[in-house]
Amino acid sequence: MSESLQQVLDVSVFWEYRTVLLRGLAVNFYVFACAAALALSLGLGAALLRISRRRLLRWVGTVHVEIFRNAPDYIMVVWVHFVLPLLIGTLLHTRFELNPFVSAIVALGFVYSGYFAETFRAGIEAVPGGQIEAGRSCGMSERLILWRIVLPQVVRRMLPESINQFISLFKATTIVSLIAVPDLMYQVSMIIQQEMRPLPLYTGAAIVYFAVILVASYALRAASERWRNKIFA
Amino acid sequence: MSEMPTIRVVDVHKRFGALEVLKGVSFDVHRGNVVSMIGASGSGKSTLLRCINHLETPTAGDIFIEGESLCFRGDATGSRKPRPLAEINRMRRDLGTVFQQFNLWPHMTVLGNVIEAPNRVRGLSRKAAAELGAECLARVHLEDKALEYPARLSGGQQQRVAIARALAMQPKVMLFDEPTSSLDPELTDEVLSVMRELAADGTTMIVVTHEMGFAREVSDRVMFLHNGLIEEEGPPEQMFGAPRSERYRQFIAKHLH
Amino acid sequence: MGNWQRLVWNQRDALFSGLVVTVEICVIAFACAIVGGLLLCLVRMYVRPLRFMAIGLIEFFRATPILVQLLWVNYVWPALFGWPDSFFTAAWMALALQSSGYLAETFRGGIEAIARGQREAAYAVGMPPLLVFRRIVLPQVSLSTAPSLVNQFTVIVKSSTLVSVITVQDLMFQSQKIVNIWYEPIEILTATAVIYIAIVFLVSAAGKGLADRLRRRYGIALA
Repeated sequence: MSESLQQVLDVSVFWEYRTVLLRGLAVNFYVFACAAALALSLGLGAALLRISRRRLLRWVGTVHVEIFRNAPDYIMVVWVHFVLPLLIGTLLHTRFELNPFVSAIVALGFVYSGYFAETFRAGIEAVPGGQIEAGRSCGMSERLILWRIVLPQVVRRMLPESINQFISLFKATTIVSLIAVPDLMYQVSMIIQQEMRPLPLYTGAAIVYFAVILVASYALRAASERWRNKIFA
Repeated sequence: MSEMPTIRVVDVHKRFGALEVLKGVSFDVHRGNVVSMIGASGSGKSTLLRCINHLETPTAGDIFIEGESLCFRGDATGSRKPRPLAEINRMRRDLGTVFQQFNLWPHMTVLGNVIEAPNRVRGLSRKAAAELGAECLARVHLEDKALEYPARLSGGQQQRVAIARALAMQPKVMLFDEPTSSLDPELTDEVLSVMRELAADGTTMIVVTHEMGFAREVSDRVMFLHNGLIEEEGPPEQMFGAPRSERYRQFIAKHLH
Repeated sequence: MGNWQRLVWNQRDALFSGLVVTVEICVIAFACAIVGGLLLCLVRMYVRPLRFMAIGLIEFFRATPILVQLLWVNYVWPALFGWPDSFFTAAWMALALQSSGYLAETFRGGIEAIARGQREAAYAVGMPPLLVFRRIVLPQVSLSTAPSLVNQFTVIVKSSTLVSVITVQDLMFQSQKIVNIWYEPIEILTATAVIYIAIVFLVSAAGKGLADRLRRRYGIALA
């Protein structure tokens, strides 16, 4: 066991490949950023649909949320990457292929839009109705009220919960290694195939993610607390 | 007075499901008038005020703002259709509303609250709106709080900001929905004195209130609502000096200290 | 239509056996996560000297992605600890680790939410701390955290799709095997996705129903 322990703690292999691994981590961030942007916009759209006055729109929003909130990330990534191109190809009568980056971003973006939709909806419904009436009384249009009064408060109110969801999304980006997107885990598995030394590499990867996420979550929470305290004093 | 009334309410009914809250209310308010509406809770006075700025849609009847119907518009063939929201919003610009719960927007500064509507609804430039906002804040004696956030202000200060916000739209009528009911007694005076100053300046005001002292001293006319109808109305000397209906007499006896 | 029959319906035995493996792993992982989470939570709250270690473990399990944990438990642990001895075991162990981190925090929230006054009232009538815990704290914590526990179970089910990566023959693995045999992924992957979504949806719905009933019956604020 001690020999294995020594192997585990041998960081030299990690250090040797640090550029490649760092580039892999950067890919994680890149996929995260794009998927997050997609998830936020779709999530906001779905939330607005769910509070719409028309029943059909409400239903569409609910279906979207229920499908994607309950779908496992991995199966969605696989489905988007392998099935969707075939479906599109049949539709367009041509051979269609999806870049694995695109599949990853689309799949994760849609799945997490389900979570963000619920977060947005809860936040929107939590804005006191009186403030909306005050806006209407000044002659503000519903759209102006949404963008200037409701959403700014939704963002501030739901920030803590959203941070949790962002962190989940970032953790989920490791899945993309399984469809050959060159993120950190993918690089790790490539190196392991070459160097045949899984112990320090897997352990190192775990520690890297742990460190990144720990630091990020503390920093984000601290920043959000200070920002929120200004108005929710 | 022969000029057109600023607000004319004609036979307004309002029903919530099976409950009829307003059973046919009619009255006029002319420019410069201060009208107080008093009555027990559930008498419909807040609902009536909310019909005037269309936060509630009357089930029957109509409301005219300087002659223009709030609820309906005539189209080319002469038939009447419900007025679309965009036009109602246009008309709302001429009505300033002050709510019982203040309803300030917490994520904006005091000045931000005041200039939001002039800037975004009337289209004033940021600079012009800021000047206008500063004037309105000066009228309520809160110029020095312009950059504070509402959460840091006392209830009385928040309500005065709400008044400034309503004034910033330069409305034809100011509507007050129980403006001091949420305030601690020590804080009501600062709000009432601002309202007195506004009345003295000639602002047209409709005030739903429990503050009998204010109603007696500042209004031109007092309306007593009971069960969705105007039970009695008239100038303050008559309303507080010589009540006519029995119900009103009981109400007055209970509420005047 | 024919494709569906050939690729999905005819393979239902393989898919079903995969589903069974999925359920087994999820249930075992869930049970261990509850035990582990409770342990971590109690150590963190009441065992002074081990407090930081518990916090460290909780944060570690919560901050590392499940895929990383799976690979780590599967490949590194056997060399270090001589265990797990099978992919199946590594699978539920990794899932349990991840969830125990979250559940530890859930339990902590639930315990802290029980007003101090209740505990003090119990001490005042002479109840020993252990009995207070067993009769006053634990029952309420169980009820208030039940919906979160159900939610964590759905997380486990969703994460379990990754155990196919360490060659555990769950539902995901079986469907990928079928894809590799026939090279026609549309029907089988769609069917698999639908099955997973349906399972998670049903468990979620049950959890929501449970939460509503608890709220109505006991009026407990849910953790």
